[in-house]
Amino acid sequence: MKVSLFATCLVDMFQSNIGKSTVELLERLNCEVEFPKEQTCCGQPAYNSGYVKVSKEAMKNTIRAFEKSEYIVCPSGSCANMIKDYEHIFQGDSEWQGRAKEIASKTFELTQFIVDVLKVEDVGAKLNGRATYHPSCHMTRLLQVKNAPLTLLKHVKGLELIELPLKENCCGFGGTFSVKMGKISEKMVDEKVSSVQETDVHYLIGSDAGCLMNIGGRIDRKDLNIQTLHIAEVLNCH
Amino acid sequence: MAMKISNDKFTDRLETNLKNDFMRNAVASAQERLQSRRSLAAESLGNWEEWRNHGEEIRQHVLQNLDYYLYELSENVSKRGGHVFFAQTAEEASNYIVSIAKQKEAKKIVKSKSMVTEEINLNQHLDEIGCSVVETDLGEYILQLDDHDPPSHIVAPALHKNKDQIREVFADKIEYTNTSKPEELALHARKVLREEFLSADIGITGCNFAVAETGSICLVTNEGNADLVSALPKTQITVMGMERLVPTFEEMEVLVSMLTRSAVGQKLTSYITVLTGAKQPFEVDGPEEFHLVIVDNGRSSILGGEFQSILQCIRCAACVNACPVYRHIGGHAYGSIYSGPIGAVLSPLLGGYDDYKELPYASTLCGACTEVCPVKIPLHQLLHKHREVIVEKEGRAPLSETALMQAFGFGTGSSTVYKLGSKVASTVMKPFVNEEKIKKGPGPLKNWTEIRDFPSPEKERFRDWFEKRNKGGNPS
Amino acid sequence: MTIQNRDSFLQTISEKLGRTAPLTKKPEIRWNHLPQHEVLKNTSKDELVQILIEQCQNIHTSVHLCDSASLAETLKIIFDQYGNGSIIYTDDNRFSELRIDSFLQSQPESFKWQPELLEQNITIADQANIGIVISDVTLAESGTIMLQTNEKKGRVISFLPTNSIAIVPKSSIVPRFTQAAQFLRSIDGPVSSCINFITGPSNSADIEMNLVVGVHGPVQMTYVIVEDY
Repeated sequence: MKVSLFATCLVDMFQSNIGKSTVELLERLNCEVEFPKEQTCCGQPAYNSGYVKVSKEAMKNTIRAFEKSEYIVCPSGSCANMIKDYEHIFQGDSEWQGRAKEIASKTFELTQFIVDVLKVEDVGAKLNGRATYHPSCHMTRLLQVKNAPLTLLKHVKGLELIELPLKENCCGFGGTFSVKMGKISEKMVDEKVSSVQETDVHYLIGSDAGCLMNIGGRIDRKDLNIQTLHIAEVLNCH
Repeated sequence: MAMKISNDKFTDRLETNLKNDFMRNAVASAQERLQSRRSLAAESLGNWEEWRNHGEEIRQHVLQNLDYYLYELSENVSKRGGHVFFAQTAEEASNYIVSIAKQKEAKKIVKSKSMVTEEINLNQHLDEIGCSVVETDLGEYILQLDDHDPPSHIVAPALHKNKDQIREVFADKIEYTNTSKPEELALHARKVLREEFLSADIGITGCNFAVAETGSICLVTNEGNADLVSALPKTQITVMGMERLVPTFEEMEVLVSMLTRSAVGQKLTSYITVLTGAKQPFEVDGPEEFHLVIVDNGRSSILGGEFQSILQCIRCAACVNACPVYRHIGGHAYGSIYSGPIGAVLSPLLGGYDDYKELPYASTLCGACTEVCPVKIPLHQLLHKHREVIVEKEGRAPLSETALMQAFGFGTGSSTVYKLGSKVASTVMKPFVNEEKIKKGPGPLKNWTEIRDFPSPEKERFRDWFEKRNKGGNPS
Repeated sequence: MTIQNRDSFLQTISEKLGRTAPLTKKPEIRWNHLPQHEVLKNTSKDELVQILIEQCQNIHTSVHLCDSASLAETLKIIFDQYGNGSIIYTDDNRFSELRIDSFLQSQPESFKWQPELLEQNITIADQANIGIVISDVTLAESGTIMLQTNEKKGRVISFLPTNSIAIVPKSSIVPRFTQAAQFLRSIDGPVSSCINFITGPSNSADIEMNLVVGVHGPVQMTYVIVEDY
């Protein structure tokens, strides 16, 4: 199966290991992975801040980059959901609405793609230790991908999953919210970190680089002995 | 109290409330309790999504036909011996109510909880003509006694206060001598308020739903205070926001069932009361005179526009109880009687961006509000819509941010510019990097790195790795 | 009665909704979703009684099950529990149908609502220890009684006395609020000026979210389900 990877800008620039793990994981699952070079960012940072016109430039670029793809796979629920929203954003734009709809129908978040399209629940991964999973808001509530990551994690050998208390509460990332409303964001991420600490785990796993940068950045600043991992990195341990 | 509850700047309000640990703990535990009760009550119906679909279609139908239903309502109220006053503005509404109070030579007025009377600053107008106004909802009564402390939640207004603070207020203001046990406090309030009910000249209520077909109004409480407010005084005045109506009892039933489950997790609250007009001949209790005041106060300017769906709101506060931002800043930080996600959408619409432009940004757009809304208001999308209006129509965004976002558009709209920019990022950021992490970032990163590390830009971007690998280089 | 400022008010609304003048024709209603009719569908009356009894545990309400022959005896037990004292009840011919009219009149301090005594009714209700009403429609799902008040059945009887007793004819029990709303719509002629749906005693959670039972209305409540009525 031919898969076009939408790596996301955060992964491209700051968290390349997530991208590498995604590629290796998909290849192990017999996918042929390509990386359309024209891709940049889904447009969410500007869009969510209210700069809709500006964001549309990034969105059009994404549409152009992936139009010819068969499957578009993205290791972020939030960015995948952004692409799904393009159709609504370009509503009434005769040139772009149809093209937006077209790519939305081919876009999948990584775990959703593995479970729903590849029909694989056990990727043969192994990782020893206790872990908890933070379900990111956009992925669970907006994209409605709730079970796929947990299904995959349950099959990872050696991994003991512990439920995160107050897991549905946002970690306080929210893109520019984290800097614009820094004081509120601090309280939110602190509560999230305390919840993670309560579970007494080795690993905090998530499916969105943004949330992980936020929670992980706070964990590192507090010098806690908890490793933050993207689910692609976990599923690529074997 | 008008809608605006504070003259402090948003940042100052945040500062104060983020430091208030008692409040933050109280809000967190209330949220957890109310959320779990709500989801149990919703799940017990088995098909909650169908209920939400029905709730939404009822509210949308009413808004689309609002002119007809308000006409029908007013005709039927009048047929049942009631007076109807349509008030375009807050002033018109309070002036009318003040004129009735003067005409009745009212000394004492008892009130049951009503957000719209707060919105039109009614109590102050009545105070000014020498009427003593007594709030009878226990939470509102506590706040009123405490020198008009503003409400911090639309369903549980005194959520931010603890029982010891309440005991002190009671001791100070209503000769209370007992302990801070909630039962004892409530019993004392019961005794004091019973006298107020029996001696009041006018009763003022809000309106959860008006029923167009019969001219009825429906009041939902757990305490029973609205029933005494409407049964004992000779004159009753009901104040409603113009959108709060339903076609018939059958839709009222559905929305009341959803309201009580969403607000407090009860199948029904203790008292659901349906009042129609003035009392009938020979009835002993009930008002001799009934007035219905229907208030616009900015609502019609929302109608027909991109924010219309906010008028679907039935004031259950489920969004408030689910909001992770409200959880940490509490109600007062919003600076409006309407707090939480509903407040962050509604307050700028009713009160303007001058006072409330920060509120739409006090959200991570996590969607928790939208998920729990019983009438399916896309709250997080409306918060986003406000941001779009603020940036693109109002031009109120800070210049530094606009410049940054223009750069973003330039950098991401074309892959050539993006590739160049992202390639030099690691060099530009190098002076700030320490063990692969940025601990003190420049510019927009400063707020981030005040409390957390930021990853340093990768020396080799993912795209470079991928390209090298495809060319047959060694995968690292 | 007066209606003020209506025309201009409705004109503004109709313009916002894209019309030149307010709608004058009743809009057609066609709902796509009607989940309320599915709740407790095809549930037998006996099952509804059980559901009602179980729900009473959630609403801090005591419940007794009896037949009309033992109703007086049952009420006496409840009066004793509530410490007897003065009793006020509605002027409702169902009390005579249930043959407890004379039993109630024979209580040491009992008072039947009498419109001709005007405000005195309210004073008596305020001082009463127990108020008694008969439910018109009873909602099993939520444990709710419905009362249509009128000149013979004052509103405050179920609000001012410290304790409240509702007699629940088994025949009055329906699945939920939906059926009560349908019943009210089917009434020929004007509805009662006050219809109360009461679900247990008065309560509040306004102080630190602690539930306090008995705030403005009754502190305790009992339902007496009469199986053969």
